Amino acid sequence: MFAFSTERPTLPADLVATLRPVVLAKSRTLPLGEPWSGLVPGGGLRRGTTVVVQAAPGSGGLSLALSLVARASLEGHWTGVVGVGDPGAVAIAELGVDLRRVLFVPRPLGAWAEAAADLVDGVDLLIVRPPRAGSGVARRLVDRVRERGIVMIVLVEPGAPWPLPADLSFTITEARWATSSRLDARHLTVLVGGRGEAARGRAHVVTLPDRRGRAR
Amino acid sequence: MERLLAIHVEALGEEAPDGSTLRDYSSLLDALDLLCPFTEPVRLGLYALPVRGPSRFFGGEAAVLDMVAATVHEVTGHDASLGIADGLFCAEIAARERLLVAPGATAAFRRRQPLRALGREDLVTTCRRLGLHTVGAFADLERARVAERFNKNALVLHQVARGERSELATQRDLKLARRLGRLRGEALADEQLGFFGQRGDDDRAHAAARRLQSRLGADGVVVAALRGGRAPEDRATLVPWGSPAGSIRDDAPWPGQLRSPSPASTLRVRQGVALLDGNAEEVRVGSRGFLSARPRALLVDQVRRDVIWHAGPWPSLERWWGRGRRRAHLQLLLASGEAVLLAAESGRWWLVGVYD
Repeated sequence: MFAFSTERPTLPADLVATLRPVVLAKSRTLPLGEPWSGLVPGGGLRRGTTVVVQAAPGSGGLSLALSLVARASLEGHWTGVVGVGDPGAVAIAELGVDLRRVLFVPRPLGAWAEAAADLVDGVDLLIVRPPRAGSGVARRLVDRVRERGIVMIVLVEPGAPWPLPADLSFTITEARWATSSRLDARHLTVLVGGRGEAARGRAHVVTLPDRRGRAR
Repeated sequence: MERLLAIHVEALGEEAPDGSTLRDYSSLLDALDLLCPFTEPVRLGLYALPVRGPSRFFGGEAAVLDMVAATVHEVTGHDASLGIADGLFCAEIAARERLLVAPGATAAFRRRQPLRALGREDLVTTCRRLGLHTVGAFADLERARVAERFNKNALVLHQVARGERSELATQRDLKLARRLGRLRGEALADEQLGFFGQRGDDDRAHAAARRLQSRLGADGVVVAALRGGRAPEDRATLVPWGSPAGSIRDDAPWPGQLRSPSPASTLRVRQGVALLDGNAEEVRVGSRGFLSARPRALLVDQVRRDVIWHAGPWPSLERWWGRGRRRAHLQLLLASGEAVLLAAESGRWWLVGVYD
Protein backbone atom coordinates (compact mmCIF):
# COMPACT_ATOMS: atom_id res chain seq x y z
CA MET A 1 0.00 0.00 0.00
CA PHE A 2 2.82 2.25 0.92
CA ALA A 3 4.21 1.92 -2.56
CA PHE A 4 1.13 3.52 -4.05
CA SER A 5 0.85 6.29 -1.52
CA THR A 6 1.40 9.69 -3.02
CA GLU A 7 2.48 11.01 0.34
CA ARG A 8 5.63 8.99 0.31
CA PRO A 9 8.44 11.23 1.52
CA THR A 10 10.95 12.04 -1.19
CA LEU A 11 14.50 10.89 -0.74
CA PRO A 12 17.35 13.36 -0.74
CA ALA A 13 19.02 13.59 -4.14
CA ASP A 14 22.44 12.42 -3.00
CA LEU A 15 20.87 9.33 -1.52
CA VAL A 16 18.91 8.60 -4.66
CA ALA A 17 22.15 8.72 -6.57
CA THR A 18 23.54 5.85 -4.51
CA LEU A 19 20.49 3.64 -5.01
CA ARG A 20 20.38 1.10 -7.73
CA PRO A 21 17.18 -0.05 -9.38
CA VAL A 22 16.38 -3.68 -8.71
CA VAL A 23 16.04 -4.87 -12.29
CA LEU A 24 15.70 -2.54 -15.20
CA ALA A 25 15.82 -3.72 -18.77
CA LYS A 26 18.90 -1.59 -19.11
CA SER A 27 20.76 -3.30 -16.31
CA ARG A 28 20.68 -6.46 -18.34
CA THR A 29 23.11 -4.82 -20.71
CA LEU A 30 26.38 -3.06 -20.06
CA PRO A 31 26.92 0.20 -21.92
CA LEU A 32 29.20 0.50 -24.93
CA GLY A 33 30.93 3.68 -25.99
CA GLU A 34 31.47 5.07 -29.46
CA PRO A 35 31.80 3.68 -32.07
CA TRP A 36 30.53 0.28 -30.86
CA SER A 37 27.15 1.39 -29.52
CA GLY A 38 26.04 2.09 -33.08
CA LEU A 39 27.41 -1.15 -34.52
CA VAL A 40 26.11 -3.74 -32.08
CA PRO A 41 22.48 -4.92 -31.87
CA GLY A 42 20.88 -3.29 -28.84
CA GLY A 43 23.74 -0.84 -28.50
CA GLY A 44 25.26 -2.61 -25.50
CA LEU A 45 26.79 -5.83 -24.18
CA ARG A 46 24.14 -8.24 -22.96
CA ARG A 47 24.92 -9.67 -19.53
CA GLY A 48 25.60 -13.38 -19.49
CA THR A 49 27.05 -13.47 -22.97
CA THR A 50 30.45 -14.26 -24.43
CA VAL A 51 32.05 -11.91 -26.92
CA VAL A 52 34.89 -13.19 -29.09
CA VAL A 53 37.49 -10.82 -30.49
CA GLN A 54 39.62 -12.49 -33.14
CA ALA A 55 42.69 -10.80 -34.55
CA ALA A 56 46.14 -11.70 -35.78
CA PRO A 57 48.85 -10.95 -33.21
CA GLY A 58 49.68 -7.26 -33.03
CA SER A 59 46.85 -6.17 -35.27
CA GLY A 60 44.72 -4.40 -32.70
CA GLY A 61 42.79 -7.17 -30.95
CA LEU A 62 43.89 -6.06 -27.50
CA SER A 63 42.96 -2.43 -28.14
CA LEU A 64 39.59 -3.50 -29.48
CA ALA A 65 38.82 -5.68 -26.46
CA LEU A 66 39.81 -2.88 -24.09
CA SER A 67 37.76 -0.32 -25.98
CA LEU A 68 34.69 -2.51 -25.46
CA VAL A 69 34.94 -2.18 -21.68
CA ALA A 70 35.80 1.54 -21.56
CA ARG A 71 32.34 3.02 -21.12
CA ALA A 72 31.16 0.44 -18.60
CA SER A 73 34.35 0.95 -16.62
CA LEU A 74 33.76 4.71 -16.49
CA GLU A 75 30.28 4.02 -15.17
CA GLY A 76 31.66 2.10 -12.24
CA HIS A 77 31.80 -1.50 -13.42
CA TRP A 78 34.82 -3.62 -12.58
CA THR A 79 36.87 -5.36 -15.26
CA GLY A 80 39.18 -8.34 -14.95
CA VAL A 81 41.95 -9.00 -17.47
CA VAL A 82 43.44 -12.50 -17.53
CA GLY A 83 46.42 -13.62 -19.58
CA VAL A 84 47.48 -10.27 -21.03
CA GLY A 85 51.11 -10.45 -19.99
CA ASP A 86 52.22 -6.86 -20.49
CA PRO A 87 49.26 -4.51 -20.39
CA GLY A 88 50.09 -1.00 -21.55
CA ALA A 89 48.50 1.03 -18.83
CA VAL A 90 48.97 4.34 -20.64
CA ALA A 91 47.15 3.12 -23.73
CA ILE A 92 44.41 1.58 -21.61
CA ALA A 93 43.86 4.90 -19.86
CA GLU A 94 43.87 6.68 -23.21
CA LEU A 95 41.10 4.37 -24.40
CA GLY A 96 38.98 5.75 -21.59
CA VAL A 97 39.17 2.81 -19.18
CA ASP A 98 39.21 3.71 -15.48
CA LEU A 99 42.33 1.93 -14.27
CA ARG A 100 41.17 2.05 -10.67
CA ARG A 101 38.58 -0.59 -11.45
CA VAL A 102 40.64 -3.05 -13.47
CA LEU A 103 42.17 -6.18 -11.96
CA PHE A 104 44.97 -7.71 -14.02
CA VAL A 105 46.10 -11.29 -13.78
CA PRO A 106 49.02 -11.01 -16.19
CA ARG A 107 50.54 -14.43 -15.66
CA PRO A 108 48.02 -16.99 -14.43
CA LEU A 109 50.64 -19.75 -14.83
CA GLY A 110 48.86 -22.90 -15.95
CA ALA A 111 45.59 -21.84 -14.38
CA TRP A 112 44.09 -19.23 -16.70
CA ALA A 113 40.67 -20.87 -16.62
CA GLU A 114 40.66 -21.07 -12.84
CA ALA A 115 41.77 -17.45 -12.56
CA ALA A 116 39.05 -16.42 -14.98
CA ALA A 117 36.44 -18.40 -13.06
CA ASP A 118 37.48 -16.71 -9.83
CA LEU A 119 37.15 -13.29 -11.40
CA VAL A 120 33.70 -14.10 -12.79
CA ASP A 121 32.46 -13.78 -9.21
CA GLY A 122 33.96 -10.37 -8.72
CA VAL A 123 33.71 -8.33 -11.91
CA ASP A 124 31.12 -7.33 -14.48
CA LEU A 125 33.41 -7.57 -17.49
CA LEU A 126 36.14 -10.09 -18.03
CA ILE A 127 38.77 -9.99 -20.76
CA VAL A 128 40.50 -13.32 -21.24
CA ARG A 129 43.37 -14.18 -23.55
CA PRO A 130 43.54 -17.99 -23.34
CA PRO A 131 46.62 -19.86 -24.57
CA ARG A 132 44.46 -22.41 -26.39
CA ALA A 133 41.14 -23.33 -24.90
CA GLY A 134 39.76 -26.85 -24.88
CA SER A 135 36.02 -27.06 -25.39
CA GLY A 136 35.37 -28.56 -21.95
CA VAL A 137 37.04 -25.70 -20.15
CA ALA A 138 35.45 -23.16 -22.48
CA ARG A 139 31.97 -24.52 -21.91
CA ARG A 140 32.35 -24.48 -18.16
CA LEU A 141 33.52 -20.90 -18.23
CA VAL A 142 30.72 -19.81 -20.57
CA ASP A 143 28.17 -21.49 -18.28
CA ARG A 144 29.58 -19.69 -15.28
CA VAL A 145 29.51 -16.37 -17.13
CA ARG A 146 25.87 -16.94 -18.06
CA GLU A 147 24.96 -17.93 -14.53
CA ARG A 148 26.61 -14.88 -12.94
CA GLY A 149 25.35 -12.48 -15.59
CA ILE A 150 28.66 -10.88 -16.51
CA VAL A 151 30.16 -10.27 -19.95
CA MET A 152 33.22 -12.23 -21.01
CA ILE A 153 35.37 -10.96 -23.84
CA VAL A 154 37.68 -13.62 -25.23
CA LEU A 155 40.69 -12.52 -27.21
CA VAL A 156 41.91 -15.15 -29.67
CA GLU A 157 44.11 -15.49 -32.72
CA PRO A 158 42.92 -17.04 -35.97
CA GLY A 159 45.26 -20.01 -35.42
CA ALA A 160 43.63 -20.92 -32.08
CA PRO A 161 39.96 -20.00 -32.35
CA TRP A 162 37.48 -20.10 -29.46
CA PRO A 163 35.93 -23.59 -29.57
CA LEU A 164 32.35 -22.44 -28.97
CA PRO A 165 30.02 -20.22 -31.00
CA ALA A 166 30.09 -16.61 -29.80
CA ASP A 167 27.06 -14.53 -28.87
CA LEU A 168 28.81 -11.57 -30.43
CA SER A 169 32.03 -11.57 -32.41
CA PHE A 170 34.47 -8.99 -33.68
CA THR A 171 36.93 -10.17 -36.29
CA ILE A 172 39.67 -7.82 -37.40
CA THR A 173 40.27 -8.49 -41.07
CA GLU A 174 42.54 -5.57 -41.86
CA ALA A 175 44.65 -3.10 -39.88
CA ARG A 176 46.09 -0.07 -41.61
CA TRP A 177 48.16 2.64 -39.91
CA ALA A 178 47.95 6.26 -40.94
CA THR A 179 51.27 7.97 -40.39
CA SER A 180 52.74 11.46 -40.44
CA SER A 181 55.89 12.26 -38.55
CA ARG A 182 54.73 9.58 -36.12
CA LEU A 183 52.07 6.89 -35.86
CA ASP A 184 48.82 8.77 -36.10
CA ALA A 185 45.90 6.43 -36.13
CA ARG A 186 44.98 2.92 -37.10
CA HIS A 187 42.00 2.03 -39.25
CA LEU A 188 40.62 -1.39 -38.50
CA THR A 189 38.22 -3.28 -40.71
CA VAL A 190 36.08 -5.20 -38.25
CA LEU A 191 33.54 -7.86 -39.08
CA VAL A 192 30.79 -7.75 -36.43
CA GLY A 193 28.82 -10.98 -36.22
CA GLY A 194 27.29 -13.39 -33.77
CA ARG A 195 23.98 -14.95 -32.88
CA GLY A 196 20.45 -13.60 -33.22
CA GLU A 197 20.27 -10.08 -34.55
CA ALA A 198 24.01 -9.96 -34.94
CA ALA A 199 24.01 -13.03 -37.19
CA ARG A 200 24.00 -10.92 -40.32
CA GLY A 201 27.69 -10.10 -40.19
CA ARG A 202 28.69 -6.61 -41.27
CA ALA A 203 32.09 -5.10 -41.91
CA HIS A 204 32.82 -1.69 -40.42
CA VAL A 205 35.88 0.50 -40.47
CA VAL A 206 36.73 2.01 -37.09
CA THR A 207 39.65 4.14 -35.98
CA LEU A 208 41.39 2.51 -33.05
CA PRO A 209 43.43 4.20 -31.72
CA ASP A 210 43.08 7.71 -33.07
CA ARG A 211 45.56 10.53 -32.42
CA ARG A 212 44.41 10.77 -28.82
CA GLY A 213 44.52 7.04 -28.29
CA ARG A 214 40.75 6.58 -28.35
CA ALA A 215 38.34 4.54 -30.42
CA ARG A 216 36.33 6.41 -32.97
CA MET B 1 36.07 -38.28 -21.14
CA GLU B 2 37.38 -35.90 -18.57
CA ARG B 3 39.78 -36.91 -15.83
CA LEU B 4 37.99 -36.25 -12.56
CA LEU B 5 38.97 -36.25 -8.94
CA ALA B 6 36.06 -37.57 -6.88
CA ILE B 7 35.91 -36.57 -3.24
CA HIS B 8 33.78 -38.79 -1.08
CA VAL B 9 33.10 -37.66 2.48
CA GLU B 10 31.11 -40.40 4.17
CA ALA B 11 30.03 -38.23 7.10
CA LEU B 12 28.34 -35.70 4.84
CA GLY B 13 26.36 -38.33 2.98
CA GLU B 14 23.50 -38.68 5.44
CA GLU B 15 21.32 -35.68 6.01
CA ALA B 16 21.05 -34.71 9.68
CA PRO B 17 17.64 -33.50 10.86
CA ASP B 18 19.00 -30.09 11.95
CA GLY B 19 20.21 -29.14 8.46
CA SER B 20 23.84 -29.05 9.54
CA THR B 21 24.88 -31.48 6.81
CA LEU B 22 23.94 -29.11 4.02
CA ARG B 23 25.71 -26.22 5.74
CA ASP B 24 28.88 -28.27 6.23
CA TYR B 25 28.65 -29.51 2.67
CA SER B 26 28.36 -25.94 1.46
CA SER B 27 31.29 -24.63 3.48
CA LEU B 28 33.48 -27.46 2.24
CA LEU B 29 32.41 -26.61 -1.30
CA ASP B 30 33.57 -23.02 -0.75
CA ALA B 31 36.91 -24.25 0.55
CA LEU B 32 37.39 -26.62 -2.39
CA ASP B 33 36.41 -23.83 -4.77
CA LEU B 34 39.54 -22.04 -3.63
CA LEU B 35 41.65 -24.92 -4.86
CA CYS B 36 39.68 -25.38 -8.06
CA PRO B 37 36.79 -23.09 -8.95
CA PHE B 38 35.24 -25.81 -11.08
CA THR B 39 34.50 -28.07 -8.12
CA GLU B 40 31.08 -29.60 -8.66
CA PRO B 41 28.65 -30.52 -5.91
CA VAL B 42 27.50 -33.92 -7.19
CA ARG B 43 25.32 -34.94 -4.26
CA LEU B 44 25.58 -34.87 -0.51
CA GLY B 45 28.82 -36.57 0.46
CA LEU B 46 30.34 -36.37 -3.02
CA TYR B 47 32.20 -33.70 -4.96
CA ALA B 48 34.05 -33.91 -8.27
CA LEU B 49 36.59 -31.64 -9.85
CA PRO B 50 38.44 -31.76 -13.18
CA VAL B 51 41.95 -32.58 -12.09
CA ARG B 52 44.00 -31.55 -15.10
CA GLY B 53 44.07 -27.80 -14.51
CA PRO B 54 44.85 -27.93 -10.79
CA SER B 55 47.47 -30.65 -11.21
CA ARG B 56 49.31 -28.57 -13.78
CA PHE B 57 49.12 -25.67 -11.43
CA PHE B 58 50.05 -27.38 -8.16
CA GLY B 59 52.62 -29.66 -9.77
CA GLY B 60 51.07 -33.07 -10.19
CA GLU B 61 48.03 -35.05 -9.14
CA ALA B 62 49.70 -36.17 -5.92
CA ALA B 63 50.05 -32.55 -4.82
CA VAL B 64 46.37 -31.90 -5.57
CA LEU B 65 45.36 -34.98 -3.58
CA ASP B 66 47.39 -33.79 -0.59
CA MET B 67 45.86 -30.33 -0.70
CA VAL B 68 42.32 -31.64 -1.07
CA ALA B 69 42.75 -34.17 1.74
CA ALA B 70 44.16 -31.45 3.99
CA THR B 71 41.32 -29.07 3.10
CA VAL B 72 38.61 -31.64 3.83
CA HIS B 73 40.20 -32.51 7.13
CA GLU B 74 40.61 -28.89 8.11
CA VAL B 75 37.07 -27.83 7.24
CA THR B 76 35.02 -30.82 8.34
CA GLY B 77 37.31 -32.79 10.66
CA HIS B 78 36.55 -35.92 8.65
CA ASP B 79 38.74 -37.91 6.31
CA ALA B 80 37.85 -38.01 2.67
CA SER B 81 38.31 -40.90 0.32
CA LEU B 82 39.74 -39.65 -2.93
CA GLY B 83 40.02 -41.25 -6.32
CA ILE B 84 40.89 -40.22 -9.83
CA ALA B 85 39.59 -41.71 -13.08
CA ASP B 86 37.96 -40.64 -16.35
CA GLY B 87 34.30 -39.78 -16.03
CA LEU B 88 32.18 -39.53 -12.91
CA PHE B 89 31.08 -43.18 -12.94
CA CYS B 90 34.60 -44.52 -12.62
CA ALA B 91 35.85 -41.63 -10.50
CA GLU B 92 33.31 -42.36 -7.79
CA ILE B 93 34.22 -46.05 -7.70
CA ALA B 94 37.89 -45.07 -7.58
CA ALA B 95 37.19 -42.75 -4.67
CA ARG B 96 35.41 -45.46 -2.68
CA GLU B 97 38.40 -47.74 -3.23
CA ARG B 98 40.89 -44.87 -2.77
CA LEU B 99 42.50 -45.54 -6.12
CA LEU B 100 44.30 -43.47 -8.69
CA VAL B 101 43.45 -44.96 -12.05
CA ALA B 102 46.34 -44.18 -14.37
CA PRO B 103 45.61 -42.10 -17.47
CA GLY B 104 44.40 -44.44 -20.20
CA ALA B 105 43.61 -47.27 -17.78
CA THR B 106 40.03 -46.24 -17.05
CA ALA B 107 38.45 -48.54 -19.67
CA ALA B 108 40.09 -51.64 -18.18
CA PHE B 109 39.19 -50.45 -14.69
CA ARG B 110 35.55 -50.04 -15.68
CA ARG B 111 35.34 -53.45 -17.31
CA ARG B 112 36.68 -55.09 -14.17
CA GLN B 113 33.90 -53.76 -11.96
CA PRO B 114 31.16 -56.12 -10.79
CA LEU B 115 27.79 -55.51 -12.38
CA ARG B 116 26.47 -54.28 -9.05
CA ALA B 117 28.37 -51.05 -9.70
CA LEU B 118 25.71 -50.07 -12.22
CA GLY B 119 23.25 -49.93 -9.36
CA ARG B 120 20.40 -52.04 -10.69
CA GLU B 121 19.54 -55.26 -8.84
CA ASP B 122 17.20 -56.58 -11.57
CA LEU B 123 19.95 -56.23 -14.13
CA VAL B 124 22.42 -58.03 -11.90
CA THR B 125 20.04 -60.95 -11.35
CA THR B 126 19.18 -61.37 -15.00
CA CYS B 127 22.76 -61.08 -16.14
CA ARG B 128 23.96 -63.58 -13.56
CA ARG B 129 21.62 -66.14 -15.12
CA LEU B 130 23.23 -65.35 -18.45
CA GLY B 131 26.66 -65.88 -16.94
CA LEU B 132 27.62 -62.19 -17.04
CA HIS B 133 29.28 -60.93 -13.88
CA THR B 134 31.28 -57.85 -14.79
CA VAL B 135 30.58 -54.50 -16.37
CA GLY B 136 32.88 -55.52 -19.22
CA ALA B 137 30.90 -58.65 -20.00
CA PHE B 138 27.69 -56.63 -20.06
CA ALA B 139 29.33 -54.04 -22.31
CA ASP B 140 30.21 -56.75 -24.82
CA LEU B 141 26.55 -57.58 -25.38
CA GLU B 142 25.27 -56.15 -28.61
CA ARG B 143 23.12 -53.11 -28.22
CA ALA B 144 20.23 -54.75 -30.07
CA ARG B 145 20.30 -57.76 -27.73
CA VAL B 146 20.17 -55.46 -24.69
CA ALA B 147 17.27 -53.57 -26.20
CA GLU B 148 15.37 -56.82 -26.76
CA ARG B 149 15.85 -58.20 -23.34
CA PHE B 150 15.76 -55.15 -21.06
CA ASN B 151 13.94 -51.84 -20.88
CA LYS B 152 15.11 -48.39 -21.95
CA ASN B 153 16.99 -47.67 -18.74
CA ALA B 154 19.22 -50.64 -19.37
CA LEU B 155 20.31 -49.08 -22.65
CA VAL B 156 21.64 -46.09 -20.72
CA LEU B 157 23.47 -48.43 -18.35
CA HIS B 158 24.86 -50.22 -21.38
CA GLN B 159 26.26 -46.94 -22.66
CA VAL B 160 27.88 -46.28 -19.30
CA ALA B 161 29.32 -49.79 -19.31
CA ARG B 162 30.79 -49.17 -22.74
CA GLY B 163 32.19 -45.82 -21.72
CA GLU B 164 29.98 -43.92 -24.17
CA ARG B 165 28.39 -42.08 -21.29
CA SER B 166 30.44 -40.78 -18.41
CA GLU B 167 28.01 -41.12 -15.52
CA LEU B 168 24.86 -42.73 -14.20
CA ALA B 169 21.76 -40.59 -13.89
CA THR B 170 21.45 -41.70 -10.28
CA GLN B 171 24.84 -40.31 -9.28
CA ARG B 172 23.75 -36.70 -9.30
CA ASP B 173 21.32 -34.95 -6.99
CA LEU B 174 19.64 -32.52 -9.34
CA LYS B 175 18.00 -30.56 -6.54
CA LEU B 176 21.25 -30.03 -4.68
CA ALA B 177 22.44 -27.01 -6.65
CA ARG B 178 19.19 -25.18 -5.98
CA ARG B 179 19.27 -26.03 -2.29
CA LEU B 180 22.84 -24.78 -2.03
CA GLY B 181 21.88 -21.64 -3.90
CA ARG B 182 19.03 -21.00 -1.48
CA LEU B 183 21.30 -21.55 1.48
CA ARG B 184 23.87 -19.20 0.04
CA GLY B 185 21.24 -16.63 -0.83
CA GLU B 186 20.08 -16.53 2.78
CA ALA B 187 23.63 -16.16 4.01
CA LEU B 188 24.31 -13.41 1.51
CA ALA B 189 21.13 -11.59 2.45
CA ASP B 190 22.13 -11.63 6.11
CA GLU B 191 25.63 -10.50 5.44
CA GLN B 192 25.26 -8.03 2.63
CA LEU B 193 22.07 -6.08 3.07
CA GLY B 194 23.55 -2.79 4.05
CA PHE B 195 21.86 0.55 3.89
CA PHE B 196 19.01 0.31 1.38
CA GLY B 197 20.13 -3.16 0.42
CA GLN B 198 23.10 -1.79 -1.36
CA ARG B 199 26.26 -3.74 -1.51
CA GLY B 200 29.16 -2.32 -3.37
CA ASP B 201 30.54 -3.89 -6.49
CA ASP B 202 33.84 -2.92 -4.94
CA ASP B 203 33.44 -5.45 -2.14
CA ARG B 204 32.71 -8.17 -4.65
CA ALA B 205 35.80 -7.30 -6.69
CA HIS B 206 37.96 -7.14 -3.58
CA ALA B 207 36.77 -10.54 -2.47
CA ALA B 208 37.60 -12.03 -5.87
CA ALA B 209 41.03 -10.40 -5.84
CA ARG B 210 41.77 -11.79 -2.39
CA ARG B 211 40.71 -15.25 -3.51
CA LEU B 212 42.99 -15.06 -6.52
CA GLN B 213 45.89 -13.89 -4.42
CA SER B 214 45.48 -16.88 -2.16
CA ARG B 215 45.80 -19.01 -5.28
CA LEU B 216 48.47 -17.22 -7.28
CA GLY B 217 50.45 -15.37 -4.65
CA ALA B 218 50.41 -11.69 -3.78
CA ASP B 219 51.70 -10.43 -7.12
CA GLY B 220 49.37 -12.67 -9.12
CA VAL B 221 46.76 -9.91 -9.16
CA VAL B 222 47.92 -6.42 -10.05
CA VAL B 223 46.38 -3.04 -10.64
CA ALA B 224 47.81 -0.39 -12.90
CA ALA B 225 48.44 3.24 -12.14
CA LEU B 226 50.01 6.08 -14.05
CA ARG B 227 52.73 8.40 -12.84
CA GLY B 228 54.80 11.10 -14.43
CA GLY B 229 57.35 10.11 -17.02
CA ARG B 230 58.42 10.45 -20.57
CA ALA B 231 57.84 7.07 -22.18
CA PRO B 232 54.85 4.74 -21.77
CA GLU B 233 57.05 2.11 -20.13
CA ASP B 234 58.03 4.62 -17.43
CA ARG B 235 54.57 5.99 -16.88
CA ALA B 236 52.82 2.71 -16.18
CA THR B 237 53.26 1.00 -12.86
CA LEU B 238 51.76 -2.34 -12.05
CA VAL B 239 51.48 -2.95 -8.33
CA PRO B 240 50.12 -6.00 -6.51
CA TRP B 241 46.50 -5.56 -5.60
CA GLY B 242 46.11 -4.29 -2.07
CA SER B 243 49.55 -2.71 -1.79
CA PRO B 244 49.45 1.00 -1.03
CA ALA B 245 49.45 2.85 -4.34
CA GLY B 246 50.99 5.78 -2.48
CA SER B 247 51.24 9.08 -4.21
CA ILE B 248 51.24 7.78 -7.76
CA ARG B 249 49.64 10.55 -9.76
CA ASP B 250 49.71 11.60 -13.35
CA ASP B 251 48.50 15.14 -13.34
CA ALA B 252 51.67 17.14 -13.82
CA PRO B 253 52.71 18.12 -17.32
CA TRP B 254 55.81 16.26 -18.35
CA PRO B 255 57.98 17.89 -20.97
CA GLY B 256 59.11 15.63 -23.74
CA GLN B 257 56.43 13.02 -23.09
CA LEU B 258 55.87 10.67 -26.02
CA ARG B 259 52.55 11.57 -27.57
CA SER B 260 49.51 9.35 -27.86
CA PRO B 261 48.55 6.86 -29.15
CA SER B 262 50.52 4.63 -26.81
CA PRO B 263 51.28 0.93 -27.24
CA ALA B 264 48.54 -1.28 -25.79
CA SER B 265 51.23 -3.69 -24.67
CA THR B 266 54.30 -2.39 -22.84
CA LEU B 267 56.86 -5.01 -22.01
CA ARG B 268 57.51 -5.43 -18.31
CA VAL B 269 60.96 -6.79 -19.09
CA ARG B 270 62.22 -5.06 -22.19
CA GLN B 271 63.60 -7.36 -24.83
CA GLY B 272 66.87 -6.86 -26.66
CA VAL B 273 66.45 -6.70 -30.46
CA ALA B 274 68.62 -5.87 -33.44
CA LEU B 275 67.79 -3.18 -35.97
CA LEU B 276 69.48 -3.56 -39.33
CA ASP B 277 69.87 -1.38 -42.41
CA GLY B 278 69.85 -2.46 -46.07
CA ASN B 279 73.38 -3.86 -45.77
CA ALA B 280 72.54 -5.92 -42.70
CA GLU B 281 74.57 -3.53 -40.53
CA GLU B 282 73.36 -2.38 -37.12
CA VAL B 283 71.52 0.92 -37.18
CA ARG B 284 72.83 3.27 -34.47
CA VAL B 285 71.73 6.54 -32.96
CA GLY B 286 74.47 9.14 -33.46
CA SER B 287 75.48 11.63 -30.80
CA ARG B 288 73.36 14.27 -32.50
CA GLY B 289 70.30 12.09 -32.36
CA PHE B 290 70.16 10.92 -35.97
CA LEU B 291 70.03 7.37 -37.20
CA SER B 292 73.15 6.06 -38.90
CA ALA B 293 71.06 4.53 -41.71
CA ARG B 294 67.48 3.82 -42.67
CA PRO B 295 66.19 0.77 -40.76
CA ARG B 296 65.13 -2.09 -43.02
CA ALA B 297 64.77 -5.10 -40.75
CA LEU B 298 64.11 -5.92 -37.12
CA LEU B 299 65.44 -9.10 -35.56
CA VAL B 300 63.35 -10.36 -32.65
CA ASP B 301 64.39 -13.72 -31.23
CA GLN B 302 66.42 -14.28 -34.41
CA VAL B 303 63.27 -13.87 -36.50
CA ARG B 304 63.65 -11.27 -39.23
CA ARG B 305 60.79 -8.81 -39.73
CA ASP B 306 60.83 -6.29 -42.56
CA VAL B 307 60.50 -2.65 -41.56
CA ILE B 308 58.47 -0.52 -43.96
CA TRP B 309 58.33 2.78 -42.10
CA HIS B 310 59.85 4.45 -39.08
CA ALA B 311 59.45 7.65 -37.10
CA GLY B 312 61.89 9.22 -34.70
CA PRO B 313 64.26 8.83 -33.05
CA TRP B 314 63.11 11.07 -30.26
CA PRO B 315 66.13 11.43 -28.00
CA SER B 316 65.93 12.30 -24.36
CA LEU B 317 68.54 12.97 -21.76
CA GLU B 318 67.07 12.33 -18.37
CA ARG B 319 68.41 12.79 -14.87
CA TRP B 320 71.13 15.09 -16.09
CA TRP B 321 71.90 15.83 -12.47
CA GLY B 322 73.12 12.30 -11.96
CA ARG B 323 75.04 10.15 -14.35
CA GLY B 324 72.40 10.79 -16.91
CA ARG B 325 70.34 8.39 -18.93
CA ARG B 326 70.55 8.79 -22.64
CA ARG B 327 67.68 7.24 -24.47
CA ALA B 328 65.93 7.54 -27.80
CA HIS B 329 62.59 6.14 -28.90
CA LEU B 330 61.70 4.95 -32.36
CA GLN B 331 58.40 3.85 -33.87
CA LEU B 332 58.46 1.12 -36.50
CA LEU B 333 55.83 -0.20 -38.84
CA LEU B 334 56.49 -3.77 -39.92
CA ALA B 335 55.51 -5.38 -43.19
CA SER B 336 53.02 -7.57 -41.31
CA GLY B 337 51.06 -4.43 -40.36
CA GLU B 338 52.24 -4.48 -36.74
CA ALA B 339 53.60 -1.35 -35.14
CA VAL B 340 56.19 -1.44 -32.35
CA LEU B 341 58.04 0.98 -30.11
CA LEU B 342 61.79 0.60 -29.67
CA ALA B 343 64.17 2.33 -27.30
CA ALA B 344 67.89 2.77 -27.86
CA GLU B 345 69.86 2.73 -24.64
CA SER B 346 73.32 1.58 -23.53
CA GLY B 347 74.39 1.10 -27.12
CA ARG B 348 71.61 -1.25 -28.20
CA TRP B 349 67.96 -1.49 -29.16
CA TRP B 350 65.18 -2.70 -26.94
CA LEU B 351 61.60 -3.63 -27.78
CA VAL B 352 59.50 -1.77 -25.22
CA GLY B 353 56.01 -1.76 -26.66
CA VAL B 354 53.64 -3.31 -29.20
CA TYR B 355 50.69 -1.37 -30.60
CA ASP B 356 48.38 -4.36 -30.31
